[in-house]
Amino acid sequence: MTDLLGIMVVTLMIWVGLFAYVYRLDRKVSRLED
Amino acid sequence: MRVADILKLLLLVWLAIVIVAAFLYVRPAEGFIGESSRIVFFHVPMAWIAVLAFLVSCVTSVMYLKRREPKDDIRASVSAGLGLLFAVLATTTGSVFARIMWNAYWNWDPRQTSITILLLIYAAYLALRGAIDDPERRASLSAVYAILAFVTVPFLVFVVPRIYWSLHPDTIINTRGANEFDSRYTQVLMASLVGFTGLYVWLYTIGCRIETIRQRRRQEVL
Repeated sequence: MTDLLGIMVVTLMIWVGLFAYVYRLDRKVSRLED
Repeated sequence: MRVADILKLLLLVWLAIVIVAAFLYVRPAEGFIGESSRIVFFHVPMAWIAVLAFLVSCVTSVMYLKRREPKDDIRASVSAGLGLLFAVLATTTGSVFARIMWNAYWNWDPRQTSITILLLIYAAYLALRGAIDDPERRASLSAVYAILAFVTVPFLVFVVPRIYWSLHPDTIINTRGANEFDSRYTQVLMASLVGFTGLYVWLYTIGCRIETIRQRRRQEVL
């Protein structure tokens, strides 16, 4: 169970990190479009 | 806050809930070693997005040949690139599953072989684009190639793995037309498919916008 929770937390961290990266990229592209 | 920002926030929360549900809401499926069955919530959506992206690439390529609009060429190339990325991710997650279930990352199983051929076909598409300098010639040739490449997708993804004996578990809706996973699996898998599709749409629009800016700048330099 602890291993499973650990993998879940790591997967969540990867997702949040990926989201933050893509969101920043999105904002940067919006600035370049203006 | 704009509607687009709300949708992005919704995507963040949606897929976070899918991840938590994949680990805590469903029990490990019978017939699988340990917790390996949970990979289905990530592996299947990645494979689905790859097929969807290749389909979009094919449709936009047809539109390019019909209308000769550069934006259709951009759409086709961005979607093919994303399809290749998701196909690589599906192959990687599949290999992790194979290591747990069959004790080897790679077995040259029909599914693994057909996805390898598919990866090579779409890698060649990107190589073709990189090899031609003239934008119109590149767009025309790669549009024709993308259409021909998509013809192989149904065979390599749906037909070949079902003709030959395979180690790969039956797909969610299998050849007998039955869903043999319990209802919680189906719920989380469907939610994951929706979330991944949202992620694809977002990445696709960003990719198209970046490529449009790149082309505009190239024209300004010339």
